[in-house]
Amino acid sequence: MSQTEIILKAEGIHKSFGSVEVLKGISLEARKHDVISILGSSGSGKSTFLRCLNFLETPTSGKVTVHGNEILVRNGKPQNVRHIEEIRARLGMVFQQFNLWTHRTVLENVMEGPVQVKRQPKAEARDKAEALLKRVGLEERMGMYPSQLSGGQQQRVAIARALAMEPDAILFDEPTSALDPELVGEVLKVMQDLAAEGRTMIVVTHEMGFAREVSSEVVFLHEGRIAEQGPPEEMFTNPRTEVFERFIAKVM
Amino acid sequence: MNPIEIIAQYWPRLLDGTLMTIKLTFLGALIAALVSPGFALIRTHAAPLAQAPLRLYISFMRGTPILAQLFLIFYGSGQFRPILQDWGLWTFFRDPFNCALLAFALNSTAYQTEILRGGIMGVPQGEIEAAKAIGMTRFKTLRRVVFPHAYRIAWPALGNEVILLMKASALASVVTVFDIMGRTRQIFSRTFDFSTYLWAALIYLCITAIFVLIWRQAERRLSRHIEAHHKPRVAAQPAKEPQA
Repeated sequence: MSQTEIILKAEGIHKSFGSVEVLKGISLEARKHDVISILGSSGSGKSTFLRCLNFLETPTSGKVTVHGNEILVRNGKPQNVRHIEEIRARLGMVFQQFNLWTHRTVLENVMEGPVQVKRQPKAEARDKAEALLKRVGLEERMGMYPSQLSGGQQQRVAIARALAMEPDAILFDEPTSALDPELVGEVLKVMQDLAAEGRTMIVVTHEMGFAREVSSEVVFLHEGRIAEQGPPEEMFTNPRTEVFERFIAKVM
Repeated sequence: MNPIEIIAQYWPRLLDGTLMTIKLTFLGALIAALVSPGFALIRTHAAPLAQAPLRLYISFMRGTPILAQLFLIFYGSGQFRPILQDWGLWTFFRDPFNCALLAFALNSTAYQTEILRGGIMGVPQGEIEAAKAIGMTRFKTLRRVVFPHAYRIAWPALGNEVILLMKASALASVVTVFDIMGRTRQIFSRTFDFSTYLWAALIYLCITAIFVLIWRQAERRLSRHIEAHHKPRVAAQPAKEPQA
């Protein structure tokens, strides 16, 4: 592996909900231009892990480092809470249910982060938002409200919203799982383009095609631990663990 | 006298009373509107124990007649006059208008807090997460996402509360505030003409009608993202291809 800059580092992430331990110590490193797909059957903890990276879920213990902002968590208490917002601003996030702000137009959704969080001048943010919306093919929908768009369109707006923050990496939490089958392609296409231009991405997904063809690394979670990890081609042709072999057999 | 003569002769007094009713209602509702967002946040976010005093206050305000609350303040303050004088508060409580305003503000604050609490609880959780995920501070999240949704959800109920408060403000006449009702009683005691009360009712009705019109306009503005879709939004269900 080349010695490129480490963008995100997670060390020993544990997470319990009550007495149920969902994550049992997961470590992951994302270097610049990495596209990491996180796979796993439901209940394996993959979404929880992703949400621990930007503290939408507070880990029970572990350490997350993004661009020098280090947050150590002990007993469910993060040590430097001040870094949380900084980390979040540096990590874009795309949700399964899009989570666009329904009371704002498409354009306003994309401008919101740069204007409110990064305090960019409105005119500048608007120009950038328009360019991004054009990129995801939605320049004609800029004045509409999210409820007037299809799921695939909403998700593309959500991706533009994440990009507008110029993030170091983007987290995708099952971005195509809530879409009608015929709309999945348009979202995957955008994600593929992002990967091709060298964006750092961590993707929780059920799209085996994407994991295999687009990602540079695949992580397979099983019962709260990393069961298998490696380059996709190798893993899919030659699974080393029985659990991953069974998983592939089930989903492919 | 016939009804027309009543209005022709006494309209300045009725107008004066109308302005008083509006002033009392508007100020009472406004004070409550300024205080209730903070209280509503305590109701939705604070630990149960920290909420206890607030809950007690709300239960009291919602569980006792507003007339009793008004008497408690108006006659109660008279009982404690020496203390209030020591504290320099007597000049405030001496004026029945102030007592009525305080009673209505306290009462409406309790109701508005609970209405707004419902609105806050109805804000889509995913949109709050999206705000956090993009790096917004708590305060920004409240201002940009939570309250815009909460007020939209609570808006019709808040309008209702203002109307109820406006009608309840007639009680102020009992403690010698000359609002619509106070003026009407004054006029009636001179003329013994029953139509005086009809005029009063008509004025209340007009105020309410105008208020409803204004409130509905505001509601339309707050909900334009929903009307754009021509049907109620169904949470978490993606829209199909746009019609346009």
